[in-house]
Amino acid sequence: MAALVLPAALLVFTLLVAPMALLARISLNHYSPTELMVEAFTAENYIRAVADPYYQQVLATTLGVAFLCTVLTVLLGFPAAYWLARMESNRKSIATILTLLPLLVGNVVRSAGWMALLGNEGGINAALRALHLTSGPLQLLYTPGAVIVGITAVVLPYMVLTLAAVIESIPRQAEEAAANLGATASTVFRRVVLPLSLPGVAAGSVLVFILCMNAYATPLLLGGPQFKMMAPAVYDQFVRGNNWPFGAALAFILLVATLVLTVIGSMALSRRYRG
Amino acid sequence: MSTLVLDRLRKRYDRTTAVERVDLTAKQGELVALLGPSGCGKTTTLRMVAGFIAPTDGRVLIGDRDVTQVPVHLRNTGMVFQAYALFQHMTVAQNVAFGLEMRRVERAEREKRVAEALRLVRLDHLADRMPRQLSGGQQQRVALARALVVNPAVFLLDEPLSNLDAKLRAEVRMEIRALQQRLGLTTLIVTHDQEEALTMADRLVVMERGRVRQIGTPEELYENPADVFVASFVGNCNLVAGTLERPGSFRTQSGTLLPCTSEAPAANDGLVLALRPERVTVTPGEGAPGDIRAQVTAVTYLGAQTEYHLDLNGTTLRASRSTPLHDDPLRRIAPGEKLTLSWDAASARLLPAETETGDET
Amino acid sequence: MTISRRTLLSGSAALLTAAATGAPKNAVAQAGGQVVIGTWGGDYGELLRQLIDQQFTAQSKIEVLQDIGNNSPRKSKLLAERQNRRGSMDVSCLSDSDTYQMMQQNVLDKLATDRIPRLGTVIEALRKDYAVPHIYSAMVILYNPSKVTTPPTSYADLWDAKWRGRVGLSDILYNYNTAVAALAGGGSMSDFGPANKRLMDWRSLDVKIYPSNEALATGLKSEEVWLAPMWLARGYMWKKAGIPLNHVVPKEGAVPVVYEAAVPRNARNKDNAWRYLNAMLEPQAQIGFAERMGYVPTVRDAQLPAELAREISLTEAQQATLKTPDHAYLLQHTASILDFWNKDFKG
Ligand SMILES: Nc1ncnc2c1ncn2[C@@H]1O[C@H](COP(=O)(O)OP(=O)(O)OP(=O)(O)O)[C@@H](O)[C@H]1O
Ligand SMILES: [Mg+2]
Repeated sequence: MAALVLPAALLVFTLLVAPMALLARISLNHYSPTELMVEAFTAENYIRAVADPYYQQVLATTLGVAFLCTVLTVLLGFPAAYWLARMESNRKSIATILTLLPLLVGNVVRSAGWMALLGNEGGINAALRALHLTSGPLQLLYTPGAVIVGITAVVLPYMVLTLAAVIESIPRQAEEAAANLGATASTVFRRVVLPLSLPGVAAGSVLVFILCMNAYATPLLLGGPQFKMMAPAVYDQFVRGNNWPFGAALAFILLVATLVLTVIGSMALSRRYRG
Repeated sequence: MSTLVLDRLRKRYDRTTAVERVDLTAKQGELVALLGPSGCGKTTTLRMVAGFIAPTDGRVLIGDRDVTQVPVHLRNTGMVFQAYALFQHMTVAQNVAFGLEMRRVERAEREKRVAEALRLVRLDHLADRMPRQLSGGQQQRVALARALVVNPAVFLLDEPLSNLDAKLRAEVRMEIRALQQRLGLTTLIVTHDQEEALTMADRLVVMERGRVRQIGTPEELYENPADVFVASFVGNCNLVAGTLERPGSFRTQSGTLLPCTSEAPAANDGLVLALRPERVTVTPGEGAPGDIRAQVTAVTYLGAQTEYHLDLNGTTLRASRSTPLHDDPLRRIAPGEKLTLSWDAASARLLPAETETGDET
Repeated sequence: MTISRRTLLSGSAALLTAAATGAPKNAVAQAGGQVVIGTWGGDYGELLRQLIDQQFTAQSKIEVLQDIGNNSPRKSKLLAERQNRRGSMDVSCLSDSDTYQMMQQNVLDKLATDRIPRLGTVIEALRKDYAVPHIYSAMVILYNPSKVTTPPTSYADLWDAKWRGRVGLSDILYNYNTAVAALAGGGSMSDFGPANKRLMDWRSLDVKIYPSNEALATGLKSEEVWLAPMWLARGYMWKKAGIPLNHVVPKEGAVPVVYEAAVPRNARNKDNAWRYLNAMLEPQAQIGFAERMGYVPTVRDAQLPAELAREISLTEAQQATLKTPDHAYLLQHTASILDFWNKDFKG
């Protein structure tokens, strides 16, 4: 038995635990401009990250964006997921593939598409000008709004598919029973479909929240240089600043913040479900 | 609680016609069973009454009101689904209270009626359980209580017993019937189990391929089936093709002459003699000349009943009777031996032969 | 916990490198017949292949293998392999500041000058004893001639209130942009002190920051911005792509960037590596890079066509005033430069 799980355990260890442990170790090292990384056991990187209003702001932005995008994906994803889940089976497989299709496009390429659309000379501004709705270009690209739209578009398929799987498991007859007992369509949704979908909302939100917290390419390309989220900040420290210890500390703070909020969030949702 | 009228109800899909034409009037407090082979349109008919399916043609009337265009939630029907369809996230009591909440019944009144309904189905002690913590039979009774508690104008059940084991099925069947009678509910129940239909229903509607074959009390259907399909679907029946030799005498295709009723329908394509196996009396021995003789091909012992498979010069018949006692010579009859048969000529009914055979998939 | 610094550093770097680049294509380079070039992919790698490798292999029978990746994983790899007896790269292509950093970390070998005869033709100002300059360009001022009728003459003109909101910067060039600010503020390549005030002035003049060089090009093309400090090579390519641009070399001297090639101490095929460095300095190859990428030859005997020379070359006088980065200073301050750029200037 132990021999059977050993390869998997080993794989998980090398792929997950070992790099994490290494990252944790690096985050306790000391940074020197000339020697780059000096072995130490210091909390200085964490203290600096937590105390610096700049990084507080970056974390706050990251949390805000992740939260907003998660809420948006739930709101946009639910109708789509419901529609998908209740589709006839032969059409459902096609629709599922169509839902997955956007994931085939990398985030960088997809962001390029958004840039072409949102830029000052982009599709939307051109259309607005052609319709004489605006005179000058509307600043759409390099705004927080662009990032939120961009990230939402990236993570939406994950939410839709997670929700659809759960909604599919709700018997249609439960909805019919509610209608038969006098519930209007909106009441059926509120009293039957929504509560029974909450586990899916929780699972989808956790997944999407984690993805949003770690978004890299989209904030970088659509948010513009002034807009900072955690993942690009970590990259900055590793690659541009050569400051591995501080970058590792930021990465760990991101990880812990994500973990804590994920656990709290799903606990709150599951309590709601039970009650 | 009202009458239910289905008026030329019809449902067409792109390629199939699920229900061709159903006319039916269920009286106040009557239990009507829709019976028929799989795919004959029973569920479709029931769902048109509930409002889940819009009919292509025809009307549904509850009481005197034409509800054909009324949405599901305003029809005031109480439906019990085959898979119960309980709300898994609500307790038993919450499930039962749902319909009352939708009708804005006051809390105190609501609680009283929920308790009453649960008492009615003998589940008052499980009010706070979640559905998943109940047995199949208990879940079924919750579904019944949930549908009944709102005093529906029409009570609808779609194969409510098919997920239960045989013993429980018989029990719940009686329970449903008792409740229905006590509350005087106009009820439409779907089943493809003829025994279920015969024991529960005031009247049966036998359907085949979207059409009504016959409507009548269990006794009418059994004793006086309108056609070969009904005769074969409701109960066991010997069906022998042939022609009328003269009034009271039927010639089978193999040439054997059999006594039959003198009431013959006008039929061009030949006739079918319908004779219930239990109406055939068997006596050991060759009998007298002129008696109907048969050779035993098989004897099937069914406990209380014994069935004899018989050959009459090429015509096969089945006879059944209560299993003979040990000292009865019939008890020792074996295949190959001879028997003498007799029946009351009036029991052998004549039906027009079917040109098109029933599709019993 | 008794992880020595050495194992920890190399182990972690190797892991990060593997994550960033995947396993190296040629973990075991055969001695004798090969040379492994750590380089960028894209145009640069492709031009190496076309302009150098083909001829090099034909003449020397040495097979050239490219280990493609961005500069940062390449640096990580060099650092990670530093302690190994034999490394996986024979030649490492990096920018001058990165190469300097690697030299500081004791990664690179001293050039075997006798093995690289063409070193003698290299422009004096670009010579180093640990790396060969391959191509270079300088940070000039690009401007849109239809909008900017009196061209700027110095970096400081980028702070003219006339150009409020019309100056564009590329975010990835933060240290060079800071150098420009330092020079404009009276500092030097060894004193970025005055840069901070200048950066904040820029900020109040609504300077536009683009996330990448390409995004800046889009801004110039749409005439959202009219002026930008940028590599001349890039400006040349953009002009060729139809963006309305002219350039001036600032009179106080332009900041150059040199793309260099160096040999790690633990290279397996050092002989081949020296030969390869020599091939990189051949006039034909140098001219090819100038034509295709707009970078200026680093050797004196590579004659560019007159037309091209006018577009991308610096005059003798301009070459003489180049503000060569003080890499030691930069390395020491890179963290604080980035911090100021991110937190104060952009934040
Ligand atoms: N949505 C639909 N689209 C097309 N055909 C349908 C649809 N629903 C039902 N049918 C067809 O209509 C016919 C009647 O179906 P229905 O469900 O009413 O049968 P049933 O009598 O309830 O059978 P069973 O005893 O198997 O439940 C069947 O042939 C079925 O294939
Ligand atoms: Mg059915």
